[in-house]
Amino acid sequence: MALRLTVNGETHSLDIEADTPLLWVLRDELGLPGTKFGCGAGLCGACTVHLDGQPVRSCSTPVEAAANREVTTIEGLGNGDRLHALQQAWIDHGVPQCGYCQSGQIMSAAHLLATNPSPGRDEIVAAMTGNLCRCGTYNRIIAAVESVVAGKKAAQKEA
Amino acid sequence: MVLNRRDFLKVSAGASGSLMLSLSLPGCSGLPTGYEEETGEWRPDAWLEITRDDRIYFTLARVEMGQGTYTGLTTLIAEELEVAPEAIEPRFAPVADEYKNPLYKLQLTGGSTSLAASWVPLRAAGASAREMLIRAAAGVWRVDAGECSATDGRVIHPNGIDSMRYGQLVELASNEILRGDVALKPSAEWKYIGKQNRRLDARAKSTGTAVYGIDVSLPDMVYAVVTRSPRYGGKVQSFNAEEVRAMPGVLEVMAIDRGVAIVADRYWRARKAQDALKVRWDFSEALGLSTQEVFETYRKAADENAGESERSEGDADRALETSERVVEAEYSQPYLAHATLEPMNATAWYRHDHMEIWAPTQAPDLGRIAAARVTGLAPDEVTINTTFLGGGFGRRLTQDYIEEAAAIAFRVDRPVKLIWSREEDTRHDLYRPAMLHRMKAALNEGELTGWQHQIVGPQILNWYVRNAAPAQFPWTPKFLYDALGKVGGWTEGIATPKDISAIEGAIEYPYQVASIDIRHTHIDPGVPITWWRSVGYSHNGFAVETFMDELAHEAGQDPYRFRRGLLAKEPRHREVLDRAARLGGWDTPVPEGRARGIALMRSFGTYVAQVVEAGLENGSIRVYRVAAAVDCGQVVNPAIVVDQIEGGILFGLTAALYGEITLEQGEVRQSNFHDYPLMRHYERPEVEVEIVDSTETPTGVGEPGVPPVIPALGNALFALTGKRQRTLPLRADV
Repeated sequence: MALRLTVNGETHSLDIEADTPLLWVLRDELGLPGTKFGCGAGLCGACTVHLDGQPVRSCSTPVEAAANREVTTIEGLGNGDRLHALQQAWIDHGVPQCGYCQSGQIMSAAHLLATNPSPGRDEIVAAMTGNLCRCGTYNRIIAAVESVVAGKKAAQKEA
Repeated sequence: MVLNRRDFLKVSAGASGSLMLSLSLPGCSGLPTGYEEETGEWRPDAWLEITRDDRIYFTLARVEMGQGTYTGLTTLIAEELEVAPEAIEPRFAPVADEYKNPLYKLQLTGGSTSLAASWVPLRAAGASAREMLIRAAAGVWRVDAGECSATDGRVIHPNGIDSMRYGQLVELASNEILRGDVALKPSAEWKYIGKQNRRLDARAKSTGTAVYGIDVSLPDMVYAVVTRSPRYGGKVQSFNAEEVRAMPGVLEVMAIDRGVAIVADRYWRARKAQDALKVRWDFSEALGLSTQEVFETYRKAADENAGESERSEGDADRALETSERVVEAEYSQPYLAHATLEPMNATAWYRHDHMEIWAPTQAPDLGRIAAARVTGLAPDEVTINTTFLGGGFGRRLTQDYIEEAAAIAFRVDRPVKLIWSREEDTRHDLYRPAMLHRMKAALNEGELTGWQHQIVGPQILNWYVRNAAPAQFPWTPKFLYDALGKVGGWTEGIATPKDISAIEGAIEYPYQVASIDIRHTHIDPGVPITWWRSVGYSHNGFAVETFMDELAHEAGQDPYRFRRGLLAKEPRHREVLDRAARLGGWDTPVPEGRARGIALMRSFGTYVAQVVEAGLENGSIRVYRVAAAVDCGQVVNPAIVVDQIEGGILFGLTAALYGEITLEQGEVRQSNFHDYPLMRHYERPEVEVEIVDSTETPTGVGEPGVPPVIPALGNALFALTGKRQRTLPLRADV
């Protein structure tokens, strides 16, 4: 079917089977491989993107469900060359090991901070629990998210 | 440290006048080297290139799968070259003799060896390049080279004011003749070693720009999926090719050695066509076992055959016969999958009589052989490009996915990307072997006087040697057989053909006991197996360190002090044990409803002790805290050491809590993360890692975090419940 999809602010017209998972459209049709395939069943979170600001598992989201809506991927999270605060925190905290899950981890964390600017530890853990990491970077992830939260609070105090 | 440069370095001018150094591993690191005694040649082991526009390229002969070689090895070069590690661009090596791991004579990454083997030669390469650049500058300035210095990619004039960029000097430097020795910087002058905390790949991996195998994209690329026999060793009898070929987007349907491949213009179309595929399998030579039968086979073998003696001291039989008390226990562990988060995949393109492959692999030269063998091409007609690996853990030492991609691409005139589904990745893995252990100990008035350990199960190397057999890797060339035969000695770095995969972690039993008898009863039920993060240590660690705990309790002693008392001659073991006990608060009161367990294991040259604090919550095991002490010699990057140990701990806990692959009549029951779960965020314990300050040669940290945590958790649960669990995974409801 023909459909229109807006990804990272750019609108694309596509002719593709309606049931194709959004993941493969992003990766193979639109050349955005930052979103990863891990399980194909919404169990690992490696394929997490934002659909109209909500985190979804793109491996189990048919592309037709994203038609005429806004998709944000890891490639569109920052602002041009400027990284999202979470991406900078991921680098500063040396979070990634193999790194394969980290796009999904960052997208889940970004949604959390967009909706709750000062989450507590339990809220962070709850928001991140759908994202698996085989290398065991969980503690670094939590520390990186908390550093962004702390940074925001400090910036607010200064202002 | 002083090295004779003539022995390991070759200099040449690269394209557009850049300075190129190739180097090999001199024999002063205490490890086997790249020196070929028969031919009297040094095999160069790495390349360093400095261009006229100040770019510095370092060809990384080991792969990056999360363990940090990309950062760690680059740091060694940077330290001596006097540039920031960030100024160096690492590139993944192609397949070539000079990039072979000298310990295995194969181009593979495994056994936690990369840093140990590179520690001296990479620093020497950096130091040599620096000195040549200094000499070139001194020649221009007509000053004494000894009065010049280098910093941040520039050579500084003795006046302290003038300087020249490395790029300006490379042409002159490449004409410098190397004479004499090169001195490495004393540790007091290190700027990055022991201090470097940034990962060089963190930015690419936080922005979605790091290229993994699955991300490779080529013009006109098509996609392949493979349906494999549900039972290992099954053969394709027939399939509904016509029906599948008529599905949208399908370009090819073909039988390959391991099943039926479907090639389509889009990945999802290949997957949908796969739903319509019906294959009749010939199971006459297929695996038909169930897990229960595997263990029955092991027990029968153990009864009938005491096994090969692998270590014998004193007279254990007599010690047991005459002992006041004999303690006996049997331990078992299941098959485990690797579950790398990036599923197996490879992209292959056959054109102009040449096969080019892009793949996340731990052993590109084995991948090349696999592709050559399955296509009939010569190895030099196959090129392998290595990408970042989305996890390795030993899985990607086996090249079955490259073999499949090559077989398919050989019959398609476009580049083909093969991607395994998660279900396929789980069900067609090669597993950490299921193992059985029978332990006996002699206790006399609380003193341990005899130790007997019978290990029952297969050897992994047979699965490489067995390649001549029908299934996965029927490669038979003699030259490879020999090379593979040497892999067996990898953990200790001794080029011996002995395969210690089943017994490592048991034979190095560190405790001082008068009579020790360690045996291996070899039995292979035919389930495909391979190396899995920490290999034999993963199962022997559980058996040895749980049984030590049992003995401590039987002897009425504290488990920490019981171990400590038997380590008088092993200071490095004792040091990490003491530190872990202190860090884990061993002698402090434990919170209500929790208990602590301790365990110790040296693996891959690195000493690790851990204290686990655990409890039961809502019918589940809950791990609250893990304290680890590590002695891995000289630390290059403290942050990566901590990460790897912590990662190993979570990897081990996942195995302890959940890890179990079961077979029913030859079919693997688990398929995805709902029935082969990994630890999640909310389950993660607090982890503290303390590193012993050391100047010993560095040893690996990718695997040693795994082995102690499994028995330490089991021991904590025993302390909590009084019930001893001798099989894995551990359960809350015993």
